[in-house]
Amino acid sequence: MDYFLNQLINGLELGSLYALVALGYTLIYGILELLNFAHGDVFMVGAFLAAGVAALFVHNEIAAIPGGLVVVLMLLVAIGGAGVLGVGIERVAYRPLRNANRLAPLITAIGVSLFLENAVFVWVSPASVLVPTHALVSQGVLRAGVVETPLTGLMLFGGSLGLMIALDLFVFRTRFGSAMRATAQDREAATFMGIDVDRVIMVTFFLASALAGFGGVLYGLRYASVDFFMGYGLGIKAFTAAVIGGIGNIRGAMVGGLLLGVLESLSGGFISTQFQDTFVFLALIVVLLVRPQGLFGQPVTDRA
Amino acid sequence: MAQPRILILIAMAGVGLAACGGGSTGTATVSKPDKVQIAAEGPFTGPQAVIGAGALQAIQLAVKDFNAAGGVNGTQVQLLIWDDQHTAQVAQNFQAVGISDPTVLGIVGPMNSGVVLGTAPGLQQASPPLPFVSESASNVAVTDSSWSVAHRVNARDDAQGPADAKFMIDKGAKKVFVMDAKSDYSIGLADQTEKYLKAHNITTQRESAQQNQKDFSTLVTKIKASGADWVYFADEGPEAVFLVNQMSQSNLKIGQNIQFLGTDGEEDSSIIGNTQGAYDGAYATNIAADPAGVSGSATQNYVKEFKAAYGPDSLSKAGPFYGSAYEAAQVLLQAIKNSPVNNGKISRADVLSHLGSDTFTTIFGSVKFNSKGDVQGGGIYVFQAQGSSMVVLKQVSG
Repeated sequence: MDYFLNQLINGLELGSLYALVALGYTLIYGILELLNFAHGDVFMVGAFLAAGVAALFVHNEIAAIPGGLVVVLMLLVAIGGAGVLGVGIERVAYRPLRNANRLAPLITAIGVSLFLENAVFVWVSPASVLVPTHALVSQGVLRAGVVETPLTGLMLFGGSLGLMIALDLFVFRTRFGSAMRATAQDREAATFMGIDVDRVIMVTFFLASALAGFGGVLYGLRYASVDFFMGYGLGIKAFTAAVIGGIGNIRGAMVGGLLLGVLESLSGGFISTQFQDTFVFLALIVVLLVRPQGLFGQPVTDRA
Repeated sequence: MAQPRILILIAMAGVGLAACGGGSTGTATVSKPDKVQIAAEGPFTGPQAVIGAGALQAIQLAVKDFNAAGGVNGTQVQLLIWDDQHTAQVAQNFQAVGISDPTVLGIVGPMNSGVVLGTAPGLQQASPPLPFVSESASNVAVTDSSWSVAHRVNARDDAQGPADAKFMIDKGAKKVFVMDAKSDYSIGLADQTEKYLKAHNITTQRESAQQNQKDFSTLVTKIKASGADWVYFADEGPEAVFLVNQMSQSNLKIGQNIQFLGTDGEEDSSIIGNTQGAYDGAYATNIAADPAGVSGSATQNYVKEFKAAYGPDSLSKAGPFYGSAYEAAQVLLQAIKNSPVNNGKISRADVLSHLGSDTFTTIFGSVKFNSKGDVQGGGIYVFQAQGSSMVVLKQVSG
């Protein structure tokens, strides 16, 4: 039983990271019906920004800044940087193609993804970059009865959950949130009702990318290392989570992410790590067969 | 009338000169070849450049040193760089150029077993066959496929697996958590090691990491639950940093409550820094020696030369094969030098037969190939992470 609980916690922690990135896919898809394939790489850039801030202040012995303050700085820079990057990508690569064939922005998304990966590869580092997490946050282990988990893992889970709740409140309880939902339902009608659709889209990209940046900081603190390719694998998993939950549905992405993480750790823990990913994608296939719109998604009817 | 006569004169002069030229090579400079080329082949760019880039630097240095010592009887050897990117198809395009040019006398490489297995038949069928000396291809089939062109200076997988297993048994292992990283190399090696352990009544548990895996929490929980006293991870990639970090976070401390043995990719001192020292005390084996850890003037001078050529911190980026690559280049160049020169030409067939029969002097001592193309007495080296570097503990045989 304690083994099961420990694996369950492992899965929830990993799953919360998937959920955070999956939210980005789902927010943008919900508004624009666009698969932003560069989203995983925005996450990667956010993680690199945080690693840069950490490197700047941790090895700086002139002004000894407490670890907690550095983490706050990392969060600000990564969230702001990733958010601005997301808005920039939308302006440069998607907005000019908003009325083009639906395949066109998909291709530019892949292009932006390749560009970001290679830019970091060439200009920053082809090898992985160390994040001095030991100097920033406690590397201790929390023990509660039979379960134990590193504090960085718990931080990942708590931080993601907090941000997801905040996002949910923002989308479902604020005026701007209802503008977002209106734009998602029908962009033209929203325009007629006086909603500045361009602004809504911009803010959505900022939010989605900021979530990824936040995830990048937590990732760096948890795994102590970042590399130019890290957004690719995680992006695919997060996208899978978004589809399982029902792409376009915010609560679906959260549940899908957590579910995927738990599925991964339990199948690895109880069946075999040799087939871990097989089970993850098998789950995707089963969901698509049984419920093509995803767990929380609404069946889509083609627009006239 | 004048023009044709001049043409005839020029033609006659040409014939005369040609005759003189032929005569002089026949008598004055008997053994000076007109042109000698060798190729360096491996993944010099891309993700696998981690192993290839340092090997290329070593080969370039070997050719430079050989030429500075007079080359092949005065002829400077030209080095072709074939960046195969760990892909047999890319390699074949390069090799086609070499096969059709008789002054290309041999290849240092290919580095990856998969590339060798995909391209060796073509090199064998060339006329004359194009020989190669690999510095890192360890799959048993490389030299077990009866290709006369195939040679390697590194040890084989079927030597490494049993040697790794034997090392752990000697250290008192009772239960070994055996992991691969889902590549041809690491699965094959983990199989060999697990087989030997089981045959010697050691309990094993077999698991897999994914290529590029970051979250090892599932595996770490599994290691703890298994009660294993050794973790064995056959890997050539960058995954060990994450595994070791997360083991340490979950209170699995290498050298204290768990022992760790890695393979080629984990013989890497950067892991120690990237895990804040949690890797300290871990062991790793390699199919090639690190010259910096081998005493003797030949290896130590080479290390100095390498640093002088590529910078003081170049060793940390040189990868695991910068020693064996220099060694392989030395072997090929000496075989070429030992081959006879006829009319300014060296035949690949002669280079091939000298590779098979001669004894070569390298930075690691003398080298001779057996009938398959494996080095006689080729060794597995055990390293341990100590302080900030990987230190050679000993050479073990399979």
